[in-house]
Amino acid sequence: MDFDFSSLFAFILFGLTIGVVYGIVALGISLIYSGLDIVHFAHGEIYMFGAFFGLVFSEQVGVPYPLALLSAMICAGVLGIVIERVFYRRLTRAGGGYTVAGMGMIICGFGMSVVLQNIAFLIWGADAEPFHVDLGEPYQFGDISLPKSYALTAVMALFLMAALHFFLVRTKLGLAVRAVAHNKDIAFLMGINVPLMISLIFGLACALAAAAGTLIGPMQSVQVEMGYLMLMKAFAAAVVGGFGSLPGAIVGGLLVGIFENLGAAYISPSHKDIYAFLLLILVLMIKPSGLFGVEARVKA
Amino acid sequence: MTATKNRLIAAGLAASLVAGMATVAAAGEIRVGITMRMISENGQKYGQMVMDEIDMINKAGGINGNTINATLLNDECKSDKGVANATKLIFQEKVHLLIGSTCSSVSLPIVDVTAKAEVPQIIPHSTNAKITQKGSAWVFRVPVSGRYYAGVNAKYVGENIGKKIAYLCAADAASQNDCEAMQSQMKSQHGVEPAYAAQVQEKEVDFRTHMQKIKTANVDGIMIAALAETMARALTQSYEAGIPASVRRIGSSSASNSPVPSIAGDAAKGVFFAAAYAAADRRPIARLFNEMVRKRYNINAPDHDFSQAYDLIRIVELALGRADLKLDSGSLAADRTAIRDAIASVENYQGLASGPISFCAAPTPQCRDGNRTAVLIAYTKGGENYVTEVLARVTMPADFGL
Amino acid sequence: MTEANETDGARGSTPMLSIRGVTTGYGKIQILHGVDLTVQRGQIAALLGGNGTGKSTLLKALSGLLPVWDGVVEFDGEPIHQLRPDQIVRRGLVQVTQGKDAYPAMTVEENLKLGAFTRSDRKGVADDLERVFTFFPRLKERRNQLSATLSGGEVQMLVIGRGLMARPKMIMLDEPSAALAPKVVLSIFATVNQIRATGVSVLMVEQNVRMALLLAEYAYIIRDGKILIKGEARDLIKDPNVKLSFLGGTVADTSREIVA
Repeated sequence: MDFDFSSLFAFILFGLTIGVVYGIVALGISLIYSGLDIVHFAHGEIYMFGAFFGLVFSEQVGVPYPLALLSAMICAGVLGIVIERVFYRRLTRAGGGYTVAGMGMIICGFGMSVVLQNIAFLIWGADAEPFHVDLGEPYQFGDISLPKSYALTAVMALFLMAALHFFLVRTKLGLAVRAVAHNKDIAFLMGINVPLMISLIFGLACALAAAAGTLIGPMQSVQVEMGYLMLMKAFAAAVVGGFGSLPGAIVGGLLVGIFENLGAAYISPSHKDIYAFLLLILVLMIKPSGLFGVEARVKA
Repeated sequence: MTATKNRLIAAGLAASLVAGMATVAAAGEIRVGITMRMISENGQKYGQMVMDEIDMINKAGGINGNTINATLLNDECKSDKGVANATKLIFQEKVHLLIGSTCSSVSLPIVDVTAKAEVPQIIPHSTNAKITQKGSAWVFRVPVSGRYYAGVNAKYVGENIGKKIAYLCAADAASQNDCEAMQSQMKSQHGVEPAYAAQVQEKEVDFRTHMQKIKTANVDGIMIAALAETMARALTQSYEAGIPASVRRIGSSSASNSPVPSIAGDAAKGVFFAAAYAAADRRPIARLFNEMVRKRYNINAPDHDFSQAYDLIRIVELALGRADLKLDSGSLAADRTAIRDAIASVENYQGLASGPISFCAAPTPQCRDGNRTAVLIAYTKGGENYVTEVLARVTMPADFGL
Repeated sequence: MTEANETDGARGSTPMLSIRGVTTGYGKIQILHGVDLTVQRGQIAALLGGNGTGKSTLLKALSGLLPVWDGVVEFDGEPIHQLRPDQIVRRGLVQVTQGKDAYPAMTVEENLKLGAFTRSDRKGVADDLERVFTFFPRLKERRNQLSATLSGGEVQMLVIGRGLMARPKMIMLDEPSAALAPKVVLSIFATVNQIRATGVSVLMVEQNVRMALLLAEYAYIIRDGKILIKGEARDLIKDPNVKLSFLGGTVADTSREIVA
């Protein structure tokens, strides 16, 4: 029997286009982890809120899609900052500093996730909302058709990653963010307003999640429950890439995307969500710190 | 003097107390327990409709002077909650009749509870064929059993669409059931195996791998068996993958739910499915019903969840009216039996449903699957203001698919 | 001992740094029990003591990393003990941490630029970068290397250079000699002296008592969260009790008697 290379190519392409989305959510999770040393369990809900923000701007306010994307990112960023300032900061203070890698923070994250889900439920209801963005006919590569939404998602995601990289490496503020991520006390001694930077990191991470939500909304419709699965996948991506490593988050996202699509195509589609975790276990067995993880604390 | 007066007052109080108790008993209270899936907006609304209809019966004088006291619980389409609800309603509320559920996965385990407790159960919406195959003498199903749906679907598809069919089956019980039934009907009626079959997760969001495979398989039709939102996503992605509209999309029973056309939009156009009710029905009764639902609940075109819940209340009203009920403290078991027998006596009820509903006494699917007529409905326009048309109306023999 | 450091007002109207009765600690554990200390303008003062005596705790309290429970910290005539660390840096008081606190994943140049985070005068920052490179030519050679690749002496130079990038009025050095070869220590101390010559006051925390006393003008010896001995460095270096306490290896109880 002939092996269908064109299909294989298609599956990898599908994996990449969804993988970049996992990647940008994972990027946010890793950013928060490297910046605040907390594992943010409510990030899936921020992603969901971002998708709803995008939907509201696009369909109810009626702005063009790229502007809706930007507005959703800003709103989610602000939401993230408010959550961090009002709730998480109290916990980190109670722990005696700006860093608490404790159970309290994890439980607070879970609690926030439930609260956000219920708020979204009260505002938008339980039903999935269609998010129509007409971008025109799909691109055709021989037998494979790639919807423009997917192409746009991939391009936007790569652009966001590049922009984040530029920000972190080329700007003074980015330098400060990296300093805070590595060591808050030292950053303070550099004259950096660490609490402000933490808010900035949180806002950035949440804006990235919102971008993912708005990008994926038109493909998968928008629903209150959508955050959970994305959180799981992005988590897997972040761990596969090495928790806290930003390039790792992106590569992890792409790998998870490809791996699960190939698994669904060639092994069994009925348990597609398992493949991400299968990959996770495999990587952790071979390299416990993840692909880009560093044993020493050299973050950001 | 004062002592006598006090005694008089006490006696009066006691008398009025006894009298009060007596009037409560005499007014007669038929306790009805309802458990339904009320997780979506529609779910909330048809739950409300059932309660509103019961209220109206009571306001119009009740049933033979007795009032219906209904308790509505939400089972969220979860079997454990459904069973807990049923247990509570039967043993704590001591209901005479149990209505529910609206999910096969919930109705099915409740059948065992009602059979054991000997309480009549009438189901507004659940298609799983097994529900009436358990042999319980206490269960009645208003909607069309899945075995008829698949038969109707397979007949139409084989004769009008083609025999090369791909199947995408989501992992939830109802969709699995619909999918298996359709595949086995395609085999028994037309002797064909699936051209492509894949099981996907209940809430799968990405179907591109399958669509790519289905596209290369060159099929005549795709059956998508999934809950509404999952189906809508699959439909949209089938077009994104470049599968042309000439390949017909066949929906499972949940295709009738309004999220399918509203989320899928243009991708819903041409999707058809077997149902027990069509909003596009031109009969006066259906037009009045549509009008009522639109006015009261602000729903453009009610789906068969609404129509079946409505039919069910009418059938319950009819049966309760026929039953000879004592409604005192010692008559609970007798009253339950009387209600069961009264429902079993309903014959040829013509309501909103696709066909007449008839029950009989034997505890068999032939007797307890009330509606044997399915309509095939197709969307001619998607979106919030979707439009449907009736493709065909097919009645099956009572023992079809057994 | 003389009280010259408090009374000698010849160098300026107010001292650069003046600490009175400072207490602090971690959580409920009190470490400092009322510390008084003064650094005059343009002076190198040394704070000496063994491990666990409260030296680093005092530096953290001065930098704002630890809350001051009680007492007053005045810098350049103004109280700073309720400010955030970044605000204290903006006032011109900069703590230079140990070499291990350079950012290993950043280049030498990035580390130095981070030191100038509070400043927005590009020209001035560029000038100061060159000034740091004249102090430490080795850093110029390695400006694009990750600081993780530097030797122990080089990272110590890097953190001092980074501290200077904020153009401080005063720097506080946390054990600049720690884990370095004597030759390297000598060159670093020489640089500290040069830095002071540019008008920057210095408070140096050290365990290397002999070397510190050679460099500093005034010194404080801390033990159990209290200042035990203070005085002109040239006096202390000859003090037999100081010799016994530190150079002899054991911090004997005799040192208590000195104060009493």
